[in-house]
This record gives sequence, structure tokens and C-alpha cells, in this order.
Amino acid sequence: MRQRQSFSSVLLKAAGIVCAGFVIGILNNSFSPRGIELVGNWGNKVISDSLVVPNSYEPEDPEAVTLSQALKSFESEKAVFLDCRVKEDFDSGHIKGALSLPWEEFEVYFPEVKSSLGDAKEIVAYCDGTECELSLLLARELAQLGYQGVKVFFGGWLEWTRAGLPVEKGS
Amino acid sequence: MDPGRPAGRKGVVEKQMKLLKEIFRDKHTALVFRMVLGLTFLYASLDKIAYPQNFSQIVYNYKILPSFVVNIFAITLPWVELICGLFLIGGIFLESSSLLILILLAVFTIATSFNVFIRGIDIQCGCFTASLAAKKQGAELLFRDVILLLMSVQVFLFNQNFATLPGFYQRILYRWLLK
Repeated sequence: MRQRQSFSSVLLKAAGIVCAGFVIGILNNSFSPRGIELVGNWGNKVISDSLVVPNSYEPEDPEAVTLSQALKSFESEKAVFLDCRVKEDFDSGHIKGALSLPWEEFEVYFPEVKSSLGDAKEIVAYCDGTECELSLLLARELAQLGYQGVKVFFGGWLEWTRAGLPVEKGS
Repeated sequence: MDPGRPAGRKGVVEKQMKLLKEIFRDKHTALVFRMVLGLTFLYASLDKIAYPQNFSQIVYNYKILPSFVVNIFAITLPWVELICGLFLIGGIFLESSSLLILILLAVFTIATSFNVFIRGIDIQCGCFTASLAAKKQGAELLFRDVILLLMSVQVFLFNQNFATLPGFYQRILYRWLLK
């Protein structure tokens, strides 16, 4: 029976195949009429957005932000997003990385969330959409508790998902 | 029970298991699996090579790779698949090409299960066609991936360099030299 080759030589040849595929792929792409850019322009950008707030919103309330401002906060990774909807809604889908803090059960959930809010520079509260005022109530409460940088994203879940921005499921 | 008589239910099952094991370790099985895998990957690569724009969209939809490598991945992966497919069929660098296929299948399986079971989203596979309108599969897809994965393990371990093109040419060369 034929002797097996050493594993490192197998790996070396495998690397060779990958390199060959890489080179041929790049070459073919640069000569093909259907070729695409090597680095694509992926992701989303907001080209227009508006700020709609409920009638109950007062000038001294925490700052209301538009979708693009919320997206900017999201991308800075310095903001904590708080989902004020009921837990079931949160579990079936929420803004990626958001924490669940249902307004109806504020006392129950707040202790859990509190530790993550400690050094947050920005807190963005959201709920379903403009029709939903839970986020405003929560933001007022947090501002009263002394938290800085509290914002309300009235567009909420509706605008976020419509724009196809990152979401996740589960608790 | 008479120890001299191995028959009985247990004996039959053992015999069948042994036979199954032998078949799994057989080089002919490896040849069949090689052809199946090779043709599968060859077929799978062609559409993706032809429509890189669509395929890159699918790769992006998986939302696993950082966006700046999406296009390079979409441009080069189908060629690696094509080369591996051809090498498997021809029996060239069998260990290496089956190992690569094994790794690729493992990555595909993990990526699909990540999206289906953890994120709960069902996206276009981009396995055989770069068409964005192809139907979504999910669990069915995972089953296929696992079967192919098993085949690639078998080929990697038990191919014994049986029925390969290089071996064929070597034999012809020897015959010619010994004349």
C-alpha cells in the first residue's frame, strides 16, 4: 500500500489550491465584463428622514432622534438601546444588542438593566413606532433618575425594520 | 448459549455493521463519493462565476463576513470550488482537495445553521445558483450539507489514490519505459 503523505504537505497543497483560486478569481474578475469591485459598497445609508413626535412631547423632554441619528449612535457602539415594548415583542425581534426594559414592568426589569447603563454615554429608548409613547415615558423616568444622554427614537421598531437595519431575536 | 455458534440476532447485526464499515472504508466507495462531490462542486461553481454581482449580494445577506471582504470572497470562492471539483474528479492532490471541500462544507454548514437556528432568518443559500429568486430551504439544506460533509470525510481518509489521472499517466509512462 502506498505511503500516506505528511499532513503538512497536504496542507501546503491545499493552500496552493486556495491561492490559485484566489489569483484566477481576481484575474477573471478584472477581465470579465460582469466583473465587480474588489471592495463592495455594502451597508445602508439614510438619504432622508423626518422627526415625528407625539403631541405629548414637550420641549424639555429628552432629545428626540431621527432614524439616521439613531443609526449613528448604533454604529458608534457607545449607545445602549432600550426596548420598552413587552417582553414577548422583544423576544420575537429587537434592534441588535438592545436590552429589554418593558415600561409596564419597569420595577421588575430595571435592576437587571441598571448595571449595563452604568457608564453608558448615550441611552436610546424606543418602542413600536411614533404611535407608541412608552419610550418617551421611559426616557423621562431615566432622565429624572439622573442619567445623561437619554434620547428617544420615536421611529422605533417600525422605522428600524423598514430600513432593514440589524436586528436579532431571543432574549 | 453455545459459544461455538456466533449466529443469533446480535451476530447478524455485528456482521452487518462490519460489512457497512468495510464498505465505508472501501476505495471504490471513495471513488463514487469523489465523483459525486466533484460534480456537485463543479456544477455549483459555474453559476456563481458567471454572476458575481448576485453572488456577492447573497454573501452579504449571510451577514457573517465584514463588508469589505464580501466581494473578494464572492469573486474567489467559486474558483476554489471549481478547482477542487476538477481535482476530485481527476484524482489530483486528492487529500488536499478533499480536505478543502471538507472545510468549505463545514463552514457552509455552520453559516447556514447560524442563520437558520440562531438568527432565525431564512436567506438565499447561494449554493448552486446565484439567482436571488431561488427558493429558500433552511433545514433541508443543512441535511444535504451534512451528507456531503460525511462523503468528504470518507474521501479524505480512504481514497487510497485509487483511479486517479496522475496514476494513470504514471502507469503509461512506466510501460513505455520498460518496453
